[in-house]
Order: sequence, then C-alpha cells, then structure tokens
Amino acid sequence: MIIRKEDLFLFFNRCISEKIDNYEEILLPKKNNQKDEKQFYFTKYNSDENIEYDLESFRTIDPIKTLFYLSRENVSSTSLHSKKRIVAGIKACDLKALNILDKALINDDFVDPAYKKLRDNTLIISSDCNRITDSCHCNLVGGKPYSESNYDINLSKVNNNNYYYIVVGSKKGEKFLNTMKEHVAVNKAPQDVFSLVEENRKDILEKLEKQNKKYYHTENFDELKNSEEKLWIENSDACVGCGACTNICPTCYCFILNDETEAEKFVKVRSYDSCQYHGYARVAGDNSPRPKMHQRFRNRYLCKFSYFNSNFDTIGCVGCGRCIDACPAEIDFREVVKKLS
Amino acid sequence: MKNPFGVISGKVFEIIQESPLIKTLRIRPEKPISFKTGQFVELSVPGIGEGPFAPSSSHFISDTMDITIMKTGFVTGHIHKIEVGDRVGIRGPYGHGYPIDKFKNKDIVIMGGGVGLAPTRSLFLTLLDEIDNYKSITFLAGAKTPNDFIYKDAISKWREVDKVIFLRTVDSIPEGQKWNENTGVVTTLLEKVKIDPKDNPSVVCGPPIMMKFGTFALKDYGFTDENIYLSMEKKMYCGFGECRHCVIGKYYACKDGPVFTYEMIKNEEAIWE
Repeated sequence: MIIRKEDLFLFFNRCISEKIDNYEEILLPKKNNQKDEKQFYFTKYNSDENIEYDLESFRTIDPIKTLFYLSRENVSSTSLHSKKRIVAGIKACDLKALNILDKALINDDFVDPAYKKLRDNTLIISSDCNRITDSCHCNLVGGKPYSESNYDINLSKVNNNNYYYIVVGSKKGEKFLNTMKEHVAVNKAPQDVFSLVEENRKDILEKLEKQNKKYYHTENFDELKNSEEKLWIENSDACVGCGACTNICPTCYCFILNDETEAEKFVKVRSYDSCQYHGYARVAGDNSPRPKMHQRFRNRYLCKFSYFNSNFDTIGCVGCGRCIDACPAEIDFREVVKKLS
Repeated sequence: MKNPFGVISGKVFEIIQESPLIKTLRIRPEKPISFKTGQFVELSVPGIGEGPFAPSSSHFISDTMDITIMKTGFVTGHIHKIEVGDRVGIRGPYGHGYPIDKFKNKDIVIMGGGVGLAPTRSLFLTLLDEIDNYKSITFLAGAKTPNDFIYKDAISKWREVDKVIFLRTVDSIPEGQKWNENTGVVTTLLEKVKIDPKDNPSVVCGPPIMMKFGTFALKDYGFTDENIYLSMEKKMYCGFGECRHCVIGKYYACKDGPVFTYEMIKNEEAIWE
C-alpha cells in the first residue's frame, strides 16, 4: 500500500484531535534548526505548519531508549501510567537496539514493568534511511539502513515522489493501517514501487559501504578479547571517562537504583549508570575489578562485542555512531575496533 | 504484575556489636521472607540507599533475619547508625545459594574470613539444623586480630556439637589482645584438617585476597574445581541480572551466583578483584 506524505500527516493530525484509537501522543524526528541539517530530535507532534518533521533522513541525535527506558524513573509504583502513543521515523539501527533492550528487559527471569508498559503502549513506525551521517556504520555490524523486522509499520519514501510505501509488520500495525484507511486515502501500490524502494536502499547501502571502507570488515569480534593490554592503554589515552558514549548508546542500559522516601514508603529510582565511571563496579573496601581507565574503556568494547553475545545472542553495537559524535576526545569507535580486532 | 523492585518493610529488634567494625542487625520483616542459604537480599535504609548482603541466619527461619554488616562505606555507615526499632527495607532474596542437597552425607569444609563469616554462618547454622544429614562439618575461620572475630559468643556452643570441628586463626595479635588459638592466615588451618577431599565439598567466603588464596589452597589440598564453592562479592545493584554491574564474563553474580563453583568461573576475567 502507499500513502501520500500529506495524507500521513493529516492522519497524524486527526489521530490526536479526534482521539482516534485513543492515541494521545505522536513522536516524530524534527529538524533542530534550518542551519544544522545533521540534527534531528524526537519531538511531540504538533500541527503547526512551520515545524518540519523528517521521517526520511537518518537517525536522531537521541537514541530510541530515551523514549522507552527513561534516564530517571521511579520504579517503585506498580500503577505506572503511560500514554498510548505512536513513535514514527525510527531507523533500523534504533529498532535493532530496541530489540536488544526487549531481550534484556523483558525475559523469563525478569520484566521491567516501566519499560514493558511503554513498549506495550507504543506503535512503532520505522522508516528507511535516505541519507547518512559521517558516523553511520550499521553496515559494519551486520545492519542495513532499512528495517526488515520488529516494526509495526515500515515506511519507505519512494524517490522523487511524495509518497511512502507501507509494509505491515505486526497485527498491531495491520489494525493501524485499517484505521488509517478509514480516515485518509491509502492506495494500492503501483507494480514498480518495490523496485524503486530497492533501488533507493541499494543506493544508501553503497554510500555507507563507501564511507566505511577504511574501517574493519570482520565478524570475529571475539578477537578483541585477546588484544594486548598496551594497545588498550594506547587507544584509550584520550578518554576522560565522561560516560557520554554509554549514555547515548541505544543498547547501554546499565542503571543504578537510588533510594528516596515518600512519607512512609520506600521509593526506588532507576537512573542510567556508566561502566566508564570508577565507582561503577567498586565494592566494599574500595576494591574494583577495573580500577584503571583503560580497563573500563576495554570493558565497553568487550561488553558490546562479547558479553552481549553470550547474554543475548547478538552483538551490542548497532552501528548508529552516536558514541563517535558524542565523544569529547573525538575517539572513533570504528577506528578502535579496527586497531584492536 | 509483581514489581521486581518492590520492598518489604522490616523493624530492627536487636543489634549485636560483633567487632569494632561489624554489627549484626536482627530484623523482623512485615511478612516472612524465605531464602536459601547463600542467597542475598538488598537491605535499604529509607532515603539513603541499599546494598547487597547475605543473611547470616539459618534458612529454616523466615520470620526474622540476621544480617551481619561491616562498616566500610556510605550505606554501611548509615546502617551502623541504625537503632533498635528503626525501619529498614528488604528486597529479595536473589540468586543461587549453596546447593546443600549435594552436601548430604559428605564431609564439608567451610573456610570463612572477616565479614565473610556472615554468609558462611548462615550455611553453618542451616547445616546444623539438619546435622544428621551430614557426615561432618569443619569450619576454618579467620580474622585479622582476636578483636576482629565475630560471633565470639556462639563459638563454644558450636564446638560442643558432635561432628563439628571449629578452628580459628588470626593474622596477628596486637599488644593487649589475648589469643590461644592458631596464628597465621586462614589457609594454614587446612594443615590440621584430616578429611578425604575426594567428592567432598568445600566452601570459601571472605575478602578478595582470601578467596583467591583460599581457593588455591583448597585445590592443593585435593578438592576438585567442581567441589569448591565461592561466594562472589560484586556490586549487585538490582539483584536479577538487569543492571549489569556484577557481570563476570557471561555470568551475572546476582542471578547466576553469588555462589559459583570454581569450575564455572575459573576462566573468566578479574574474578579475584
């Protein structure tokens, strides 16, 4: 099926104003300002015509976890309220990350109630990348600049045309498409549409491959484990241990629990932690398994490429490149992996 | 849905000053908390914070819980300020404890040092409650100095029990302190042990350095890697394998441990730190 861009936004508009299917909130990537083309943020949809939303470019500045796994959350309460919402414009890297968080936070041993509630109440609309940014490197970690699963609805912009090709990925997505059909024009896709989509996907993938040609091309990330200590010391030399990389990583979910009190109640507040901090694994008597910066630096790489693999059968890097953009020491994750594997 | 972060409130009804730095809190939770010896709970001080501690009482008791705590940092500093009648919170129990079913009809060697005597006291008391099931229990206990020994009052009672050998040692005897038992690190007590290590279990718990050399000494004595049980100390925040602080290679100390066999973790990194 296909939908014109105007019609999609018209539907978003009506969704909120008419409370269609009880949706209360729609989050979309919005351009930060006209000058900086490289910045997109998930923002609450607002029908103001002057705001430009962008479903087509590349991933947002903020990782998807910030919408599901909040940086600070009271987890004591069992009656968590969360709005029924749509998040649209999620890129393949973020969707892959969300899938990893699902394994970590909703499993047989443990379910994080707050995360689950936000997941259950959200419709996921992913969309293909039509541009890339300098740090994008999903192709190096087995990813693609478009989603093939885990979405409710996927949208592919069809080149030079003002419409999206719609693919349904779940029952929830199918229901949403049917509702959409009742309110706006959703048409049958022309026969050649898929080849146009394919062409575009191929084009972006080629751009990514060209951009990342000089980095690593390995699948044997376990080699990182065997790298000499002196290489880790050299490569982490510029690292100041600020934790920006882990905070912005869409698959990092380490947290600390803080105790607060509310009258007579015990209140537990969950907030992000970072394995780059000295206090992270410190135990009584000031003992720490990783007292030195290069050991903590190494831990992050091993966590992504080795520990995640043994815990969740997948590596923990989705190639979004946010850690590269966020690093104040300009450490390029791709470079480090290349040098050490 | 059950909230995994939920807390059971409890009241401290007795406090025992075990040594200058170690206290045992005796807590009566609002509802009974059943646990398996070797498991741990998260004990919280309202508005301050929480920390992982293994109960030091027998697992056959669920209406009260003893927790022995050394003053070593922020949260434990506040725990030491607690007075009788104060309220604390308990989450858990979490993890895997000692597989005492496998200890049946065996000669069991327990090695504990410093505040590491706390989880091993729980194991010891649990075994004592069903002493007929076991062939013998040899407890090797160590402390820095005689004054640092905890559970002083109970020792003579435990020594009277048939099938129990309870040996103690101190690293050194400062002036003014009295001691007429062994002197030397805890592993020196192994020289006095006369049991066949074949197929028998051994348990070690204490500060990192003691865990390391204790394990090596038990290995040298002849215990197999599968029969050396370690209670690992890591920073266990959540208790159920979510927060990742306590990761030991592919394991979570909180979920897969804190009791591991040496066989399980011997190839993982930085286990002794």
